[in-house]
Amino acid sequence: MKKFFDSKNVRSFLRIVLALTIGLTFGFVITLIVSDEPMVAYKAFLFGPLSQLNRIGDWLEESLTLIFLGLAITIVFSAKQFYIGLEGQMILSALATGAVAIYMPAPPIIRVPLAFLAGMVVAVLWALIPALLKAYLGASELVTSLMFNTMALRLFEFLLRTYLQLPNANGIMSERVPEDARLRTFIPNLPFLEETRNAWSKATNVSWMVYVAIGAVLLAYILLYKTKFGYEIRAVGANAKFAKYGGINVKRTIVASILVSGVFSALAGSHLVLAITERIVQGMAFGFGFEGINISILSGNNPLGVPIASLFYGYLRAGSDVMERASDVSRELVFVVQAAVLLLLTAERLLPVVQQVVTTDEEEAAQLEKGSVK
Amino acid sequence: MPLIEMKNISKIYDNGVVANDHVNFSVEKGEIHALVGENGAGKSTLMKILYGIEQPTEGQILINGKEVSFRSSLDAIDEKIGMVHQNFMLIPSFSVADNIVLGNEPLQTNKLIDKKRSVEITEELSKTYGLNVIPEAIVDSINVGMRQRVEIIKMLYREAEILIMDEPTAVLTPQETQDLFNAIHKLVEQGKTVIFITHKLREVKEISDRVTVMRLGKMIGTVDTKDVTREQIANMMVGREVFLDITKPKINRGQKRMTVKDLTYVSETGTPVLRGVNFNLYSGEVLGIAGVEGNGQTELVEVITGLKSATGGEVLVHEKNILNRTPREIRMMKVAHIPEDRLTNGVAVNASIEENLIVDRYFKKPLNKGLLMDYKEVNKHSDALIKQFSIKTPDGKLPVSSLSGGNMQKVVVARELSSDPYVLIASQPTRGIDVGATEYIREQLVKYRTDGVAVLLVSADLSEVMSLSDRIVTLYEGKITGVFPDASKATEEELGLYMLGLKEQTAEEMEKVL
Repeated sequence: MKKFFDSKNVRSFLRIVLALTIGLTFGFVITLIVSDEPMVAYKAFLFGPLSQLNRIGDWLEESLTLIFLGLAITIVFSAKQFYIGLEGQMILSALATGAVAIYMPAPPIIRVPLAFLAGMVVAVLWALIPALLKAYLGASELVTSLMFNTMALRLFEFLLRTYLQLPNANGIMSERVPEDARLRTFIPNLPFLEETRNAWSKATNVSWMVYVAIGAVLLAYILLYKTKFGYEIRAVGANAKFAKYGGINVKRTIVASILVSGVFSALAGSHLVLAITERIVQGMAFGFGFEGINISILSGNNPLGVPIASLFYGYLRAGSDVMERASDVSRELVFVVQAAVLLLLTAERLLPVVQQVVTTDEEEAAQLEKGSVK
Repeated sequence: MPLIEMKNISKIYDNGVVANDHVNFSVEKGEIHALVGENGAGKSTLMKILYGIEQPTEGQILINGKEVSFRSSLDAIDEKIGMVHQNFMLIPSFSVADNIVLGNEPLQTNKLIDKKRSVEITEELSKTYGLNVIPEAIVDSINVGMRQRVEIIKMLYREAEILIMDEPTAVLTPQETQDLFNAIHKLVEQGKTVIFITHKLREVKEISDRVTVMRLGKMIGTVDTKDVTREQIANMMVGREVFLDITKPKINRGQKRMTVKDLTYVSETGTPVLRGVNFNLYSGEVLGIAGVEGNGQTELVEVITGLKSATGGEVLVHEKNILNRTPREIRMMKVAHIPEDRLTNGVAVNASIEENLIVDRYFKKPLNKGLLMDYKEVNKHSDALIKQFSIKTPDGKLPVSSLSGGNMQKVVVARELSSDPYVLIASQPTRGIDVGATEYIREQLVKYRTDGVAVLLVSADLSEVMSLSDRIVTLYEGKITGVFPDASKATEEELGLYMLGLKEQTAEEMEKVL
C-alpha cells in the first residue's frame, strides 16, 4: 500500500511541476508582448538571482522570511483556521525585537535572545484576541485577523514615529541596530572557510537564521505530525465535530494553534529587523504577510515542503527584482506568474489532464455532469 | 420486450477495480424494480452507466429494443431516463420551483424567466403525482423528504419515464418513507417505471414487483418479489445464511450503572425537546428507546454524552453527575458512544483509519511517550482492532474515506467497544449499512451486553429495537410514555400506540420497572 502514497505524492509533485511550467510559459508570453527585448528581460528573471553573490543573498534572505511565514500558516491551516494576521504579527514583532536590540542596556548575549523573546511575546499576544473571538464567540478569524493587520500597521507607525524616530533621518525609521546585535553570517568561523565567509558577509545578509529556519521546519513537522498537540490540531482540522465527540478540547486547540503559529511569524519579524533592514523602518514588511498562504498552497500545507516552496518563491521574487533593474519589464510580472501557478494549483478543474489523474471522486464527476445540463 | 435491457455490462475503473462484471439487467415497463446488494456490490455503478454518468467498458444498453450509447446524462435524459441521487443535487439558495425548472426555464415573451409559470408547473406536477412540495420555499429551508420530492419532480418535469432512485430511503424518517412509497405507487399507476436501489430488505418486500440482486459486481439473479422471503434475498446478497433475528443468551441483569433523572433540554430556538426524562440502565441489559424520529432521541443522546448542554436534571454514573461535563470527562467515566451520524461525529473521513481509532485515547499510554506520540504503537493498536473487528481494508494508514459505509461504521464500533465501556450508548448503530455489517454490529452489541456492559440503544428501526433490547421505553415528544420490562413480549402495534402518544403509562406504573 506504500505504493498508493508514493504515487499520490508523485502525482501532486507532477501537478506542481506542470503548474510551474505553464505559469512560467505564460509569464514568458506576456514578456514577449510587453517588452522590446523579451529575451534579456526573461533571462534576467530566470537566471538573474544566480548571477552575483549579492543577488544570491537577496534570494536566500527572502526565502528565509518566507519559510517562517509559511510554517506559521501551515500550522493554523492544519487546524482549518483561516487566520491570516501574519503581516501584523510580523511587523509588531519586528518593532519589539528591534526596540529591545537597540535600546536595552545589556550585553549582546542577553540582549539578542531577549529581543527574539520580545518579538514572540508580542506576536503571540497580538493573535490572542482574534483567537479567543473565534473559539468562544465564533467570530470569523479571517475577518478579525485581517482587521488586526490594519490596526497593527497603524500601531507600528504610531509607535515608530512617536518614540523611535531617528531625528534628521530622511524617512520614518529608527536608529540602526548596533553592530553587536546584528545577526552574523551563517558560515562558521573556520580557517579554511575564511575567504568565503568574508565574501558572503560583505555581499549578503544571510545570517545564522538559516539554521534557525532548518530547526523551525523540523520543529513544525514534529509538532504537527509527532506530538499529541499535533494530533489534536489535525483532528480539529479534519473534522471539528469528530474531535469534540472524541473528547478533544476544540476551543483550546484552536486558540493554541493560532498562538503557536505566532512564534513562527515572530521569527520572520525578528529576522527582518536584525538581519535585513537592520533598523525599524516604515514599510519594512514588504507585503510579505500574505505570501505565507501561497507557500502553504505550494507546499501542500506540509512543513517539510515549506523550504522548497519558499526557495522557489523567493527565487521568483528575487528574479523579478533583477529583471526590473535590467530591462523594461516591471517586477509586477512576477505576480502574473505567481497568480497563474496558484490558479492552476488550486483550481484543478482548469487543467482537465491533471483533473483526470487527481480527481477520483465519482460524485464530483457526477456533479459536473449535472452542472452542464442545459 | 423489456423496456430496458442491459446486456453483458462490464465496468473496470482506471485503478483496476472491477465494479461490474458481465451484468445482465432488464426492466419491464410499469414495474417497480428493486436493485439490491451490499455496499460496493456495483448497484450504483450499474445505474450510473444507465444514466450516462459512467461509460461501460463493454456491453450494450437497449431501450425499447433499440441500442443506445450514452456519452453523458444529457443523452440519458433524452431517452427519458431520470435519476434521483442519494446526495441531492439542488441549489440551496434557489426556490423549489426555480430548482425544478432549472436548465429548461419557461420564458415570457420578453425572454425573461416566467417565475409565475414555474410555480404553476411545479404545482401541477406536485398535484398529478401526489408529491407534496411548497413551490416558493427556498430549498435550504425545507426538510430532506421534501428535497427528495423536488428531485423527483425535477425529473418528471424533464419528462422522465424511467426513474432511478439511489437509496432514496436512507435519509428519510419512517413516515417520510411511507409517503415516498405512496408517491412511487402513484407514479407507476401513471405509467412510469421505477428502479429502486436499496439494501433494506423490508422495503424490497414492501414496494417492489421484482428484485435483482448483485454481489461483488456480479448479477446473482432476478426474481419476483412475492416468491421470495427476506431471508432468501439476504442469502442471495451475502452468499451465506444470515440471521436477521439475533439469538441472545438469557439476560443476566446486574447492578444499576446509569440513572437519568428529570432530564430536560430546551433547544436554542426555545422549544422544549426533552421534558423530564427518567430511566435507569443496568449492567448486562440492552435498553431500547423506541420512538418516531424527532421526538428527542438525538438530543437525549447528545446531552448524555456531553455534546449538548442540558437545561436541567441529572445523569448519574458511579454516583457522580456527568451532566454538562465535557465529552472527555464523560469518556473518562467509561461512557462510550456510537453516534447516530458517523460522518458528522463518528469519523474524520480524511484522516487515516488508525488516527480515527485513537481519538478518545491518544493521550493515554502506550500510544504516546509523554509529549510525543508513538506511532508504532498507534499502528499496532489499529492493526489489532482492524483484525478483531474485521474491518475490510488493506492498510490502517489509508483514509477512512476509502472504506465502505459498513466498514466506516465498524471503525466507530471498534473504537467505542474497545474502550472497555461501562456504559455504551449506541445511536442508530446500523443505519445505512449493508446486511453483513449490520449483522456483525448487532452481534457485537449483544456480546458486550452479555459480558455485562449496560447498553442504551436508540434506533429508528423498530425491528432492531425489538430484536436487540431486553427492555424498551417509548419516547414521545421528549417524554417517556411507556416502559416494557420484557421486550420479547412487546408487540409492534402496542409500541406504536405509545410511540405516537396515543397511550401513556402512569408514573407509578413506570416507576416499578424503570
